[in-house]
Amino acid sequence: MNHTTYSTRHRNPWGSALSRCAIVAGLLALIAVPVARAGENAGRLAFRVGKVITMDPGDTVINNAVVLVSNGKIERVARQSEMTIPEGYRVIEAPDKWLVPGIIDAHNHTVANFWWMDLNDMVYLTNPGLRTLETIEPENELLKDARAGGITTVMMIPGSGTNMSGFGTISKTAGKTVDEMVLRAPGSLKIAQAGNPEWYWYGVGRSFMNYNTRQTMEKAKAYHEAWQAFEAGEGAERPEFDPVFDDFRGLFQHKFPVTVHTQIYQVVMTTLDMLKKKLDVRTVLDHCTFDGYKTAPLTVEADVYAINGPRQYNFDRAERKMNGNAARWWQGGVKKLGLNTDAPVVPQEELPYQAAMACWYGWQPYPALRGLTRIPAEALLIDDRVGSVEAGKDADFGIWTGDPIDPRSACEMTVINGKVVYDADVRRRF
Amino acid sequence: MEKGVNMRSMWPLLTGSLLCAASVFGAPPAKVALEGGRIIPVVGDDISKGTVLIEHGKITAVGKHVEVPYDAMVVDVSGKVIFPGMIDTHSARGMDIRNENLPVTPFLDVYDALDPSRLYFEDALRDGITSIHAIVANNCVIGSLSRVIHPIGLTPDEMTLQAPVALKLSVAPKRRSDRMVQMATLRETFLELADYLENLAETKYEESLEKEDKKIDVGPEEARKRGKPLIKFEDYDDAHRNLIKLTRGELGAFIYCGIAGDVGRAVKLAKDNGFFGRSTLVLGDACFKAVSEIKEAGRPVVLDPDLLYRERDPITGDIKETFIPKVFADAGVAFSLLPYPNNSLAERYLNYQAARCVRNGVDRKTALESITINPAKALGVGDRIGSIEVGKVANLVVFSGDPLDFESWVDMVYINGIRAYERKDDVRLKQLFGDEPAEVTEGEAPEDEKKKGAEADDKPADDADGKGEAPAETPSDKANETGTDG
Repeated sequence: MNHTTYSTRHRNPWGSALSRCAIVAGLLALIAVPVARAGENAGRLAFRVGKVITMDPGDTVINNAVVLVSNGKIERVARQSEMTIPEGYRVIEAPDKWLVPGIIDAHNHTVANFWWMDLNDMVYLTNPGLRTLETIEPENELLKDARAGGITTVMMIPGSGTNMSGFGTISKTAGKTVDEMVLRAPGSLKIAQAGNPEWYWYGVGRSFMNYNTRQTMEKAKAYHEAWQAFEAGEGAERPEFDPVFDDFRGLFQHKFPVTVHTQIYQVVMTTLDMLKKKLDVRTVLDHCTFDGYKTAPLTVEADVYAINGPRQYNFDRAERKMNGNAARWWQGGVKKLGLNTDAPVVPQEELPYQAAMACWYGWQPYPALRGLTRIPAEALLIDDRVGSVEAGKDADFGIWTGDPIDPRSACEMTVINGKVVYDADVRRRF
Repeated sequence: MEKGVNMRSMWPLLTGSLLCAASVFGAPPAKVALEGGRIIPVVGDDISKGTVLIEHGKITAVGKHVEVPYDAMVVDVSGKVIFPGMIDTHSARGMDIRNENLPVTPFLDVYDALDPSRLYFEDALRDGITSIHAIVANNCVIGSLSRVIHPIGLTPDEMTLQAPVALKLSVAPKRRSDRMVQMATLRETFLELADYLENLAETKYEESLEKEDKKIDVGPEEARKRGKPLIKFEDYDDAHRNLIKLTRGELGAFIYCGIAGDVGRAVKLAKDNGFFGRSTLVLGDACFKAVSEIKEAGRPVVLDPDLLYRERDPITGDIKETFIPKVFADAGVAFSLLPYPNNSLAERYLNYQAARCVRNGVDRKTALESITINPAKALGVGDRIGSIEVGKVANLVVFSGDPLDFESWVDMVYINGIRAYERKDDVRLKQLFGDEPAEVTEGEAPEDEKKKGAEADDKPADDADGKGEAPAETPSDKANETGTDG
């Protein structure tokens, strides 16, 4: 048998090639079927679901609803009794399921290939010239995990090995090319205050790290101000273009935030003081774990977003008790509170578990769900596109068997930019 | 701002570890009179049954007969002792690490390293320390800028009393270095500074000519001479700015000497570079052997927290003990004492350190000065803190008895005229003495609970028989301190 196969291939290469072509053609046909069907409806989909958690500013929940999708956007959300589905829509029936806005992770490292270490270029203690945009690897396995978990948008940031590791990119978790995926670049500037960078350079303390980070930021600000003066046309000289500092301009124009890796009290305090108060840039606190929640009064005063996780509890040795991090932030008055996984530190699809854990330690379910959707969207200044299910926004959502933060619930279907990118009925991933 | 204040007033509900600190965030009374206590002003004679009047954070009257305004909050402290808030003259314990690896860092500031959430600050309050000189430890060549802070507040800005205060220098070698390298690095730093200033002067002269489209027309020496007056303070870069202030006498210098021979080197370094008049010597334990040199220098000194020096006679093998402060007191050198950084020893209390001095033959006045006014003077804030005098910041400690009596405890602490600590509200002491209901452990019978409570009630009584005011440290407290410090 083996011998026959071997000799056949050598005697008749054409035949073999043809048969391979046939197999490929067959596979293509299989894939092409759903594509063709979607084409028929010109991307028009209608979801008939049991419940829509819209996450709109009014926190509306619509039961027995229809969500119409066309051209990648949400066209209309209404009660089934108030609307008949127009002609030309492919209807997806999920009468006992929940339609939930696509989940957003504001702190993620999986859009590039994490395992190739395209994450931490530890050149200097601050590396202002780097961009994750240049590391994106579409359709990697971790992205498929994310989609299967109902996660549709992520902030892909460089690692925390240095105090400033570069600019992040906001990306959808679906798309064949980088251009298709990217929602905004730069998405944010990544700063890591203390923590991991302490190991740099045979060890470095916070007085040096803070000094150094401030120096870099001030150079960038001077660059921005020089351009600003030139653009205002007040006779200022045209500054020389600097690729290292040019990306900072958007930061100082408040077009995108700085996302800061923070943990303990002192680090959160320094972040608020240095970045928000003194440099006046839009600041998002990431992680903010350990006893970081004790800065709540300062955080409320500074009016910034806190994206907590993936460590959801802290044993406070001074108080001698276990604390839920998110719960303590919330009790401290920080209502702009979201959650992150730091994927793949915690698998991307387990972002809702962060919410479950936060609730287990004393937070409340609805704010926790908001902390997975609208809050990160607002924090990252992308709430005009994603974060809620409202007419005009990107059609990014998941169809869930129940409340996403209930660990028993599963995401059955994920839609990104109006396309079904995951369907558990076709091929279940988890 | 109003919103922030509200948030802060609810803070006691939210956290235990900042709890002591938190009480200041309510609106404090503007006028407070501490009435009927024995006042030890340190400067001047004691006043029995006297009154200290505080208005808007400052001491406005001290004496036996003080007219108390009708709107003052009167606190009866009869039977108690009013003492100036004690000062920790040299501490790196409020920071993330004691020293940077980088040897020469005059451009850094302890501001960036201070962590107000440290348990150390809470302990400081409990121990009657109202001001702390936050400065890097001795493992450096030139360290960062230091500042005087109060152990209370949510941010370093809120805590600060005076900043900047001094630069830290060490003539004893940084770890993994030796004295030759140490002294060479110091020498090079100041030579490089001189070089930098010369070059800067030349550059400034050249720039001034460029403005008029002229080329440099004189030799470098002349150019530097002409350029010098053109330099503005803003022209100095970060690496040199604070060194320039130091050499001009605009900053203090805290110079660490590890051994007796270091004293001469420290004095020379300071004299050579123009900051001798602002120098304070931070002495290692063996430095007392250079006491005559130190006396001659006439600069303030800070003693090692280990007050007893032991050495072995190389021939007889006998152990010889020297009580260091006595040597300085006998020589007439004013000194400041430090609390021992180890939490588990009684030496962590500054008043205990002073009491040891008295026990070992130092007179009481000198001992009291060494924990209050001497540190204040060394820090250049002798006119603001360190004694109970009209016009000074109202940083006060109310002791239950004489501060040098080992049975006395810190009853209340006032900082900026605000009651920052009160023993009866000390959550952690309550936990320690069992005043708070014991935590219910699974499977524990209610009878056991009762027994536990009874034992706990006896504890304060036990304490009175000789264990002193020092609440015994529990293992978890120690673990905590090591945890946050390490």
